[in-house]
Amino acid sequence: MKKYILMPFLAVFALTAAAQDFDTDPTLELENAEKEVKFTVGARMMADAAYYHSDFTPLQSGASITDARIRTSMTYKDWYFYADFGFGGGKFSQKNIFLQYSHLDNNDNTHAVKVGYYNDPAGSMARNTSLGSYHFISRPGSSYALGEGRELGISYKYNSDRFMAYQGVFTENHYNKIDAGFNGITVAGRYLFRPLVDDYQTLHVGVSARFAHLGGGEVYNNVLKKSLHLGQSLETLVDEDEQFVSADLDWANNVVNVGAEALYHNNKFFARGEFLYKHVTKKRDSYSLYIDAQNNIDGWGDIEWWENANKLKNNNFIGGYVEAGFQILGNGYRYNKQEGLLGGMDGKSLELVARYNYTGLNNLTDGEYYNAGRGHYYANGYMEDWPGTGATSVGGGDIHSVTVGLNYAFNRYVLCMLDYTWHKLDKPFLPNDKNFHVAQARVQFTF
Amino acid sequence: MFKNLVRVGLLSAVVLATFTSCEDEQQFTNEKLDAKRVEVQVLNDELAKVRDYVPLYAVIAHRGSTFWAPEETEASWRWAREMGADYLESDVQCTKDGIVLANHDENLKRTTNIENVFSENVPASRVDFYMSLGFSRADAEAQYGRDMAAFRPFYTLSYYYAELLMLDAGSWFNESSLEQARPTFKATENGRFEDGKIVYSNGLYISAIQDQIAYAQGKRLVRDANGRRILTYKVKDEYQGMTLEQIYNAIKAKGEYNAKYMDFIEYDFANAYEADPEDTGNRPGIYVEFKESWLNPGNMEQRVYDALAECGWNIITNDPGDQPFYKNGKVNVGNTRGRVILQTFSFDALRRANDVFKGRIPMCYLLWISEPAYATDIAYDTPTGYAAFIKWAQDNGAHIIGPAISGAPNNYPEMNAPWQAYMIRRAGMINHPYSFDSWAQMCKYMGYYNYGWETEFDDLLRLEIPATPYCTSSYPNSVPVYMDGFFTNRTEMSLRYMIENGFRGNPALPNPFHAGQKYDNSQANVTVPDAVATLERLGY
Repeated sequence: MKKYILMPFLAVFALTAAAQDFDTDPTLELENAEKEVKFTVGARMMADAAYYHSDFTPLQSGASITDARIRTSMTYKDWYFYADFGFGGGKFSQKNIFLQYSHLDNNDNTHAVKVGYYNDPAGSMARNTSLGSYHFISRPGSSYALGEGRELGISYKYNSDRFMAYQGVFTENHYNKIDAGFNGITVAGRYLFRPLVDDYQTLHVGVSARFAHLGGGEVYNNVLKKSLHLGQSLETLVDEDEQFVSADLDWANNVVNVGAEALYHNNKFFARGEFLYKHVTKKRDSYSLYIDAQNNIDGWGDIEWWENANKLKNNNFIGGYVEAGFQILGNGYRYNKQEGLLGGMDGKSLELVARYNYTGLNNLTDGEYYNAGRGHYYANGYMEDWPGTGATSVGGGDIHSVTVGLNYAFNRYVLCMLDYTWHKLDKPFLPNDKNFHVAQARVQFTF
Repeated sequence: MFKNLVRVGLLSAVVLATFTSCEDEQQFTNEKLDAKRVEVQVLNDELAKVRDYVPLYAVIAHRGSTFWAPEETEASWRWAREMGADYLESDVQCTKDGIVLANHDENLKRTTNIENVFSENVPASRVDFYMSLGFSRADAEAQYGRDMAAFRPFYTLSYYYAELLMLDAGSWFNESSLEQARPTFKATENGRFEDGKIVYSNGLYISAIQDQIAYAQGKRLVRDANGRRILTYKVKDEYQGMTLEQIYNAIKAKGEYNAKYMDFIEYDFANAYEADPEDTGNRPGIYVEFKESWLNPGNMEQRVYDALAECGWNIITNDPGDQPFYKNGKVNVGNTRGRVILQTFSFDALRRANDVFKGRIPMCYLLWISEPAYATDIAYDTPTGYAAFIKWAQDNGAHIIGPAISGAPNNYPEMNAPWQAYMIRRAGMINHPYSFDSWAQMCKYMGYYNYGWETEFDDLLRLEIPATPYCTSSYPNSVPVYMDGFFTNRTEMSLRYMIENGFRGNPALPNPFHAGQKYDNSQANVTVPDAVATLERLGY
């Protein structure tokens, strides 16, 4: 009897073990077969060193413990609970925490319902892949600038050999810490098709889509002002300064993400890439703000004039990346079908990797003038005193990044990584910053 | 295990060697270094030629004087002229009848008694004023209604110039500057409307730009026996025989810039001045600031162009040719191509001035910063931001940058730190910081505190100033100089500093804009009259 109970238990565990931010099995396991409970404990540490060379604005070279985590899980029958907590940077942070119910149907297809705080399915393939399993020291910049991270919500995932459909409903702030408004709502889904899948190679293509209605913001002149921040570092965790590629979008209302992805691997080679598109709509209570501006003799005339001086424009941003790796020695690349993701290095191995990334946060309006001393665009092609600029351009920065890397895993626990990245930046606010060179090294320990 | 340890050790050594072998570079944002490496647009030859119309180390009497006399009045500008300032500075705005006049603030409350003379309504005497010009009561009352619709209390654009001559522009100074107060600064009679005409006050007046030019030319106002200025006015010939309504419609038809203005009155400035008996021969230039663009008509710059041309002071229409800045110990700037310098903080005014003057008259672009940044402020006072503003200024016909300086009593933000002065010099532009009130500020920005010490900016800013007989030291003065001229509220103090430190009255000053060339201002005035005695000599 115990045998019949234990088999589905192990099958479910196999499904759930990867549904977390680590994709390696924890080393410490406590199992009580009688109560059908399994408890695991694991940890991870990443120490990075980075040297930066820039044309103009300096970054802070040095070393840092970029990640330190403790993870725990408990499995009971079809139920799986997982939580991990970060201590990187000397600060406690909530990482994943969720409960998942999984069911294996008669056709060996899985159905899983997950509730808690975890990665948005449409947040990008890169963001859904554990950093500990990534083949570069940082994920591609576009996945940070245009992708999404963890959210609080509930999702349903269907997985077969050929298909994966993963969708859910989420909210934007897992602690509901917002100054005003409500917590927002998001629906998101990721859908994969695998035309080629066997023990040695996989090809998947997929699309993702996400719609978010922002709910939270701040009270500005008695009006709810919602904003959206987009940004990325220079694909490094030692200095995570986002000033080079970032945009703050005031009066953001709805956000639509659309993504397309492809991944192929065999034993010796992998290639994967994503295209990311983000559309942001704006909304504002112009009338209340206009009335509030009527506070002196140099007022705004009529509301039409005011709105013309304070135009709103919806924004569109695109980005994407391609990555490839060649394993010189090791056990071959492996694919996690339950997650639709490439696994990390498994045991002693050596690989060469390369990546190209593009992030476009410049959403410019033709004919507008920018002055770096003002930090403003001007609609009519020159600076004007008053009233307002009427400009709608967003100059968050366009960046092209090329990375080459060498990774060596001593065993399944210890990994060393070396990356060199060249960034080419075009950001109007930082006209003297064109080229960045980033050399990084990492030592990673996981159990 | 041992092999692994060796591998880790080797890898670590390679990484360490890579990082530690890197050159020792700037690890933080350093304005001093960035000021040298950021790209700065250099003044083109055409603008550089106009730049050289301006005398080096010019002493610019800020509003005439804010310390000794009521600003921007006959008293302050006559005093500045007699003290030997190179320029009489002013801020220009526009009256309802299109007169370009000098007023610093956006309204007239601080520097006149307008709140006592007029209420917050259109002047009650306005209908009578119209009727005094020959219009019917019905016509005048109808125009009064239109005036009310466009009225902004205490703003220059709401009043006819003749009405503003009813105000006393001096008494406020006596109330706010008790130690410099003088009975003669206060009118003994306020203006009024009496016997069918405007009766001016008999003290100091809000000045028209024509007044300012007249003072620079060694003149003063013609006054009657009661001390009231004599300035007659009439309806312009082109509007003779028309009703006010017809005039209003005709002006409105000229375009949007004229719609709010009733520019139909002509003042007889030609007979408003007389030779000043106390004139000792100095002929300063004028330094005119366009104020907030939204306070004035959109063709304000054209109006100034025209006013200068009417006075013969527009060098585009009346080129005085090559003339020396100083002659026989007297200021002669007012007779040179540098006689007028324009200035503004306003983006709009700078751009429109370039449309009108096309960079052919020296133009100063003024800098200010505040938090949060006001509409015309520089918001990012970094080398990159500074360079962007320098480029903007040059692209819009400016030759001079005017940064704020720190220090009591104004305690303005510092915008002329050495790195900023260095960037202005790199751009080939003149640096005219504002505004000086103390000897300490003079020392600071003329490099006295860096005397003998090397600085990061010596390659462009350090000058070797030969000693003159008027210097307090007989040794050459080796200093990094952080300005090329300046706005001062204390002309007497500033002139003395320049003379005693070899910057004035020197035949062999180095010319920072033309390496190897000398700049000769040996003919400049090298004695500074006593400030109080000068006021008394002028009758105040």
